[in-house]
Amino acid sequence: MSDQLMTEAVAAPGMPSARMARMFEWASERGTLIAGLSLSAFVLFIGFVAPFIYPVDPFAIHPAHALEAPSRMFPFGTDELGRDELALLLSGGLATLIVSLPSAVLAFVVGVAYGLASGLGPAWLDRLLMRLLDAVLALPSLIILLFFASLVTLNDTSLILLLGFISWPSLARLVRNETMAQKGRDFVLATEQLGASKFYVARVHLLRVMAPILVVNGTFMVGDAIFALSALSFLGLGVQPPQVSWGSLLETGLDIIALDPWWMILPPGIVVFAALLAASLTGQGLLARWGNRQ
Amino acid sequence: MIKMVASRLASSTLSIVILVTLVFFMVHLTPGGPAYSILGQKATAASVAEVNARLGLNVPIWQQYFVWWWHLLHGQLGYSYLISRPVGQLLWQYELNTMVFYSVSIVLSTLLSILLGLVQGVYYGRWPARLIGAFQLGFYALPPFFVAAMLVLWFAVGLKILPANGIVDLREAHPGIGSYAAHLVLPVITVSLLTVCSLSRYFGEAVHEELQKDYVRTAAAKGVAFPTILVRHVMRNALRPLVTILGLSFPYIFTGGVIVESVFNYPGLGWLMWRSALSQDYPILIAIVLIIGILTVLGNLLADLVNGLLDPRASYE
Repeated sequence: MSDQLMTEAVAAPGMPSARMARMFEWASERGTLIAGLSLSAFVLFIGFVAPFIYPVDPFAIHPAHALEAPSRMFPFGTDELGRDELALLLSGGLATLIVSLPSAVLAFVVGVAYGLASGLGPAWLDRLLMRLLDAVLALPSLIILLFFASLVTLNDTSLILLLGFISWPSLARLVRNETMAQKGRDFVLATEQLGASKFYVARVHLLRVMAPILVVNGTFMVGDAIFALSALSFLGLGVQPPQVSWGSLLETGLDIIALDPWWMILPPGIVVFAALLAASLTGQGLLARWGNRQ
Repeated sequence: MIKMVASRLASSTLSIVILVTLVFFMVHLTPGGPAYSILGQKATAASVAEVNARLGLNVPIWQQYFVWWWHLLHGQLGYSYLISRPVGQLLWQYELNTMVFYSVSIVLSTLLSILLGLVQGVYYGRWPARLIGAFQLGFYALPPFFVAAMLVLWFAVGLKILPANGIVDLREAHPGIGSYAAHLVLPVITVSLLTVCSLSRYFGEAVHEELQKDYVRTAAAKGVAFPTILVRHVMRNALRPLVTILGLSFPYIFTGGVIVESVFNYPGLGWLMWRSALSQDYPILIAIVLIIGILTVLGNLLADLVNGLLDPRASYE
C-alpha cells in the first residue's frame, strides 16, 4: 500500500489528482457492479416475487375495458382484449425467465465441456471440433434459432434445449483457447507427471484458473439468452399463446400500433432493456474487478 | 497476399459446406415434413405421397442431398413449397432490397462511429468520452424491437412525419425515389443506433491507444498540427481494427436486420426468412442460410483485403 503510494508520488507530481482519478475509477467500477446486481435483483423480483404481490389473473378478460390507458383500476392499462397489462407483464416475466435462465446454464455447460474436450483431447479431435465451431459461428445465432424454431414443436422444454444448444459456441472457443494457454504451464505438467487424469487436471486446475472468465461470460450469456428468447417470441417463434412473454407482449402492442397503445409497448420494452442492462453491467463490473486483480 | 486470400477462402468454404450439410440433414430428418404444411395436418396418405413425389421428397435422403448440391452448382436453389416459384428468382428482389438497406446503414454507422470514436479517443477519461461511453453501454443493451417500436410510436404514429411500414407507398402509381428513401429512414436509424454503439467504442479505444504512441509525439515535436496528426497518422492506424470489427459484425448486423425488417415489414431477406420460418418453407430457409453464410465469409474477406491496403504489413502475416 505505502509502496504503491510512494511510486505514485514520485511518478506523478500532481499526486492528489492522480489518486483522485484512481479512486474515481475504482468507485465507478464498483458502481457498475452494484448497479448491475441491483438491476438483476429488480428483474428477478418482477419475474418471481411480484406475481405474488399483485395476484391478479392475467388472462381474465374485461371486454368493457378493452385497450384502456393506465388508470387506477388497471395500473398499466389493458390490452385489446381487456386483459390487465400489469398482470400480463408479470406473468410474461416468469415465462421469460423460466426458459432463459436454464437455457443459459445449459449453454454454459455445453460450451465449457466442448472447449475442454477440444483443448485437452487429441489433436485431430481439436481440429474437427474447431472446424465445426467455425461453421456454426459463420451464421448469426438468431438465424439458426429461427430455422430450428420452425422445425420443432415449441414449448418450455424445447425452447430451453434450442436456446441452450445454440448459444454455446463463443464460450467454447474461449474455454478452448484458455485451456491451450494453461495446459503447458508448470503446475499442470507437474500434476500430469504425478499421474493425474485429464479430468482431474480440468476439474482441479483449469476450471479454477478460468473461474473469473467463466463467471463473467456466464453473466453475459444470461443476457444473451433473455435477448434471444424475447426476439424469438417477438417474431412469433418463441413462447406460444396462450402463454405470454415480454417479447410477445411487445409484439401484440406493435400489431395495433396505429392506435397508439404506448402502455402496451413501453413496459415490456423497458423490462427487457433492464434485464439486458443488468447482465451487461454485472458482467462488466466483474470483469473490471477481476481484470485489475490479475 | 494472393496466398492469404486463397487460404482464407478455402477454410471458409469448408466451413460453409459443413454448415449447409448439417442444416440439410437436420431439416429432412424431422418428422412431419413439408407435405403436411402444404396440405394441412388432416391430409390423406395418398395426397401426401403425391406432394412428396412432386417435390422430389420420396427418394432416399442421400440422393436428395446430392441432387440439391448439383442444382446448387447450376444456380438452381429449388422451388418454394408454398409459392411454387424458383427460390433463386424469388430471392433476388428481396436480396436487392436488403443490400440497399444495409449499404445505407453501414455507411451511416461507420461515419458516425468515426466521429464519435475520435471525440472519445481525444477526450479519453474526461466528460465527453464518459458521456459517449454511457450512451454506448445503454444503447448496446437496448433490444432492437423496442427501439424500432418506439421510433414508430414517435415518428409514425405520434408526429406522422415518416411511414412505418413497407418499402414504398402503395397508393402511388409510380412511386419516386423519395418514397423509397422515406421508408428507409426509420429502419436505417434503428440498425445504425445499435451498430454505432460497439463500432464507435472499438474505434475510440483504438484512437486512444494510438495517441499514446511515440510517432504521435515525434510528429507533435516537429510541429505538425494536432488535427493533421489525428487525420493523417492516428486515423490510418486506428481504422484497421474498425475494418476488422465491421467485417466480423456483418452477421450480427443481419440479426438486427431480421427483427428490424419484420417490425417495419420491409421486404428484405430477413423478412423473407422470418415469413418462411413461420410457414416452414425449407428450400427458402436453406437458401437464405446459405446466402448469409456466404455474405459473412465475403465480409470477413473484404475486411482482410481493406486492411491489407491500409497497412501492407498485414498481408504478410
